[in-house]
Amino acid sequence: MIRLTIDDREITVPEGTMVVDAAQELGIDVPIYCYHQALGPLGACRICLVQVEKMPKLVTACTTAVQEGMVVHTRGSAVDKGRQGVLEFLLINHPLDCPVCDKGGECFLQDYTFQYGSAAGRYDEPKIHKLKDAAINEFIIIDQERCVLCQRCVRFMGEYVGEEQLLLEGRGVETVVSTVSHQPMDSQFSGNVIDLCPVGALLSIPYRYKARPWNLERAESVCPHCPVACTTSVTSREGHVIRVEGRPIPGHDWGWLCDRGRFGYDFGYVEDRLLNAWLDGEITSAAESTRTIGSWLNDTLEQHGGDSVAFLVGGQQTMEEAYQIRRFADEVVGTSKVAVSRSVKGYLPLGLNGTFEDLDRADTIVYLGQDPYDAVPVVHLKVRDRYRDNPGLKVIGIGAYDLTRSTVPGDAFVLEPGEEAAFLAYTLAKVAASNPIIARLGEELGDFSPTFKGAKSEQEVETLGRQLLESEHLVLLWDGKDPHMESVLLALRGLREDVTAVLPTFGPANWRGFERAGIAVDYDRLEAFVEEAIQGKIHLLFSIGADLLRDYPDRERAKAALAAIDRVVSVGLFFPEQRELYHAVIPGAGWSEVDGTYTNMEGRMQVAKATVQPPGQSRPVRTYLGSWAHALKKSFVLEPEWDPFDHNAGDLIAKDALPEVQSVPKPARPAMKDGALRLVGTALVMEGGMPSEILQPRIPKYPGRISLADASRLGIGEPGGELGLRGQQGMISVMVAVDERIPQGVLVLPYGVVGSPLNQLGDGAVVEAVSLEEVSLR
Amino acid sequence: MKPEWELWAQEAKAEFPKANSALLPLLHRIQSQEHYLSEDTIRDVAVLLKLPVPYVESVASFYSLYYKNPVGKRIIHVCMGLSCALNGSDELMHHLEGKLGIQEGQTTPDGEVSLLEAECLAACNLAPVAQVNLRFVGPVTEDTADQLLTGEVKS
Ligand code: SF4
Ligand code: SF4
Ligand code: FES
Ligand code: FES
Repeated sequence: MIRLTIDDREITVPEGTMVVDAAQELGIDVPIYCYHQALGPLGACRICLVQVEKMPKLVTACTTAVQEGMVVHTRGSAVDKGRQGVLEFLLINHPLDCPVCDKGGECFLQDYTFQYGSAAGRYDEPKIHKLKDAAINEFIIIDQERCVLCQRCVRFMGEYVGEEQLLLEGRGVETVVSTVSHQPMDSQFSGNVIDLCPVGALLSIPYRYKARPWNLERAESVCPHCPVACTTSVTSREGHVIRVEGRPIPGHDWGWLCDRGRFGYDFGYVEDRLLNAWLDGEITSAAESTRTIGSWLNDTLEQHGGDSVAFLVGGQQTMEEAYQIRRFADEVVGTSKVAVSRSVKGYLPLGLNGTFEDLDRADTIVYLGQDPYDAVPVVHLKVRDRYRDNPGLKVIGIGAYDLTRSTVPGDAFVLEPGEEAAFLAYTLAKVAASNPIIARLGEELGDFSPTFKGAKSEQEVETLGRQLLESEHLVLLWDGKDPHMESVLLALRGLREDVTAVLPTFGPANWRGFERAGIAVDYDRLEAFVEEAIQGKIHLLFSIGADLLRDYPDRERAKAALAAIDRVVSVGLFFPEQRELYHAVIPGAGWSEVDGTYTNMEGRMQVAKATVQPPGQSRPVRTYLGSWAHALKKSFVLEPEWDPFDHNAGDLIAKDALPEVQSVPKPARPAMKDGALRLVGTALVMEGGMPSEILQPRIPKYPGRISLADASRLGIGEPGGELGLRGQQGMISVMVAVDERIPQGVLVLPYGVVGSPLNQLGDGAVVEAVSLEEVSLR
Repeated sequence: MKPEWELWAQEAKAEFPKANSALLPLLHRIQSQEHYLSEDTIRDVAVLLKLPVPYVESVASFYSLYYKNPVGKRIIHVCMGLSCALNGSDELMHHLEGKLGIQEGQTTPDGEVSLLEAECLAACNLAPVAQVNLRFVGPVTEDTADQLLTGEVKS
């Protein structure tokens, strides 16, 4: 530890700390442009000048490491004069167009100039002109004249993300930031450069000219689009959400967002947003619909009793709402039938759940079934961050296609779809067969042996087994698809001496929170509900923030279930798919419209504040629950509010005991005719998410992915094409493109793509390509 | 990519311990063949030297003697540095612009002549200085200016 004095105050910091960070710890702000802790020192902008006693000249606080006994002054006439000089240089060619700049009011060039700069320039010569308002992709414009060349944006994309899409072009006063080959940036982390840019050079297109910082409101929130639940700050003006920014949490999170989270905030305002209540296909008033639904509830309870009423909860709800729904079901309706609408069958015991801190310490990270880049993008950045700290990081992808990518290189095991759990049980048996836990795990495996696409030797399998058992800090990211994986993960935890942490990459986004609110999320519940519905035992269903047809793995069964229920009521932001199956559809309030808590994939509870009023007739769930209780003449008191936080455990949900290891059955390999394809479902935040007009231009036109070999066989060229598919349960058509990571015989399709429902055919189903005419005749 | 570039890349790499040091000579050699560095060429060079494309692009854009757009057979640089400016380089430039019917930074439509400005060429004693295909000419007077466009190049 090093002791030094900054502005007459003593502080002790670890060796290697930069003066700027030591000052920050004392609450002393040293101005910075180019420096960012995640990117490390560069020393390009010189604004952070400070005076160090016994040093002849001013030094840059961001590149000067602390030394024992150092005496630093961050203010004083010499320092202020130095900063004034730097600003004078920065402003020589600056257009001084702050009055029309979106950054005005929250710009570090403005702030520091106000603090240190001179009131007028001394430079009379004409200014150099550069590009203004040039789009670098669908979401971002650059004003090169305002750029201070701090290189944060360039370094973030190149060094931090590892997708080199920005560069410095030219020399001297003519240097500008530009995109590679002047092509639009297409990284899904592009929007972060807006937050990183300290001046008004990189600006958000959708937020353009929407507000000045002093007439808007900011609220702490979290991103609702995937289970990462990145911390955000939501900007609103006059009751409209107009911007989402990353919200760094010092020492814990850098505040990065992916473009889905940053720009997909307009789902509340798209044309499809439900603003009115609908009864039997007709718009009605809110009062009328509430009354009618109340009477349905009353009648159903009288005729069939509480257990004939079911509740289905989807990913849009907060923990508090889940809690209210459960209590309403318990206390007012008297039913235990509350299920969570899900796409995958797996469950992760809370005791296995790791945190993002585990990623920071990992020496081995295993992707199970899904590439985190697609499903939980910011987790990919966290893995990349770890890889930058520890280039020896082992990354292993295990799934039906190559899950690794060049930004975090790794080793890929490409298996037959759905065999990840069996493969791991097999692998562990190779290296520790005598262990009773592993023996238990492998009891039903029989003669299973994996087939690899792309050669893998027995040797490599054994090495993998040993890595899994012996690595010092193992983190597994699991897609939740194969329920038997739970036992493999439990076995690993049981066998290993060192940390074994699992992060569930599957949704719905807040499922862990629902669990905390007392709603069991296991898939069996959902299955039992569907079965009972089909048998005619459910007479009234409240589907809240859920869309069974979209989520449930078997679309035909979902249809049959809904069709068999006398009355189906949906509360949500949008119409559910096939709205004719619903008797009432009433508009709900969602993210940014209700205060609430969401639990992320770490099991961490985070608060999201409401910042706007729900539009149209939409109301929070609790309002509806209250009025239905009223219709039953029952009291439903929600005061005092439930507090999800356990004040001993902090923001992480407390762990519980782990279940027993069960055996993994031998996977059945379906017969494949020549030319047949196996469907593999995956979660993609871009393709499968909520509607957004802002994001529309970025959402891939070809969500399906196949191998080059299959594409050429099926006549799919560049950039992609439409493919008809026939499975046992029907036909769909899909827009597909080539992805070199996909092996032959596999078609990867995201869940929830409008118009190409994977669950019509089934995840893992064998399908054959048919002509599009055949599909349209279906 | 031309087949010989691979060999040139090997040769350039052999001269330096690190690949990025070989970048400048390789770019020069390829430019002398191609007359300029297109975006495709920049990609090719990045592949040949296993360097990131933006790195090569940044370097190529940093040095003014790498041309990112097609240039004429005769490249005229007029020095705009202080000494030359005091000795009338502005008028010289305007004169040439008028003669050629193009602006500074442009190439005549027939692809013959490019007119470019240069910073101090370190030949202030010859101010105002021009270069024709990198050979110095100066001091350029009203009478000799037109020789820049037609005459044999002497230094
Ligand atoms: S655009 Fe912004 S972040 Fe990028 S170099 Fe310029 S000032 Fe820095
Ligand atoms: S990674 Fe997920 S939570 Fe984070 S910004 Fe993207 S969609 Fe939102
Ligand atoms: S912040 Fe220190 S030099 Fe830029
Ligand atoms: S100013 Fe023209 S050569 Fe020096």
